[in-house]
Amino acid sequence: MNVSRSFPVFAIVFAVVYAVMYVIAVEKNYALFTYHPALEEFGFLVEKPREGPAMYWYGWMATSGIVALAAGLLACSIPERAKQRLWSGWSWTIPLAVMFVFGYLLRGYFLR
Amino acid sequence: MIVVLLIIHALLAVTLLGAITHQAISVWLPLRKTPGSFVGRVRAVPAASYVNAVVILYVVTATLGAIIYPEYRLSVRVVLQQLSLNVPNGLFELKEHFVAVGLGMLPAYWYFWRQPLTNDYLRTRAILTSILAFIVWWSFLVGHILNNIRGFEA
Repeated sequence: MNVSRSFPVFAIVFAVVYAVMYVIAVEKNYALFTYHPALEEFGFLVEKPREGPAMYWYGWMATSGIVALAAGLLACSIPERAKQRLWSGWSWTIPLAVMFVFGYLLRGYFLR
Repeated sequence: MIVVLLIIHALLAVTLLGAITHQAISVWLPLRKTPGSFVGRVRAVPAASYVNAVVILYVVTATLGAIIYPEYRLSVRVVLQQLSLNVPNGLFELKEHFVAVGLGMLPAYWYFWRQPLTNDYLRTRAILTSILAFIVWWSFLVGHILNNIRGFEA
């Protein structure tokens, strides 16, 4: 595997999978870990709030990062012809779409 | 301690804002001839030279933001909810998600700005830079607004 040749494929797939996985993780609450700020404690996977709020943001990013890393590395092994046909624009269209999705999901804050 | 970290976070954000804005302007409004004015010099900066700085500053600023985030959840968000300040609360919710999405775009941003630059990725470079610039501006302004609402050591 040629790392420098594979890197654009990795980067595009990482950007796409990370963005998609992040919005799924937020919606379905697939946090790899939970942080309890009042107690300054971490818990594995999703835990209910204990003495104050529970923070899942770090866990959502960790879940998305791991899945995107795996997908990116897997994509590096696809045939060279398929790599060359991968459109570089996916690296911005999907994250941009996910940003709009968040705007829609959080519209309640602005319409109340 | 939190106030010190918040100020460092803000200073890093200003630096990042300057770098990404310079780059975005030079991408969309490049100046080929020798610049004679202040605006001309802003447009004529070598855009590619900002890439590593933007990536490092983005990661460091986001990491510092993540470190001070629990204090926000405990001290600021509660107040916003009690005062029914839904819009600022929503703006911050968007900020956290936008920043997270931006982190995932950094490898692609870095790669497509890699030297030597090819014309094949001209549009991809420009749009990735613009989206990151939007995220950084959004985060900076929302952070500033919330800091003004909550006040210093309130």
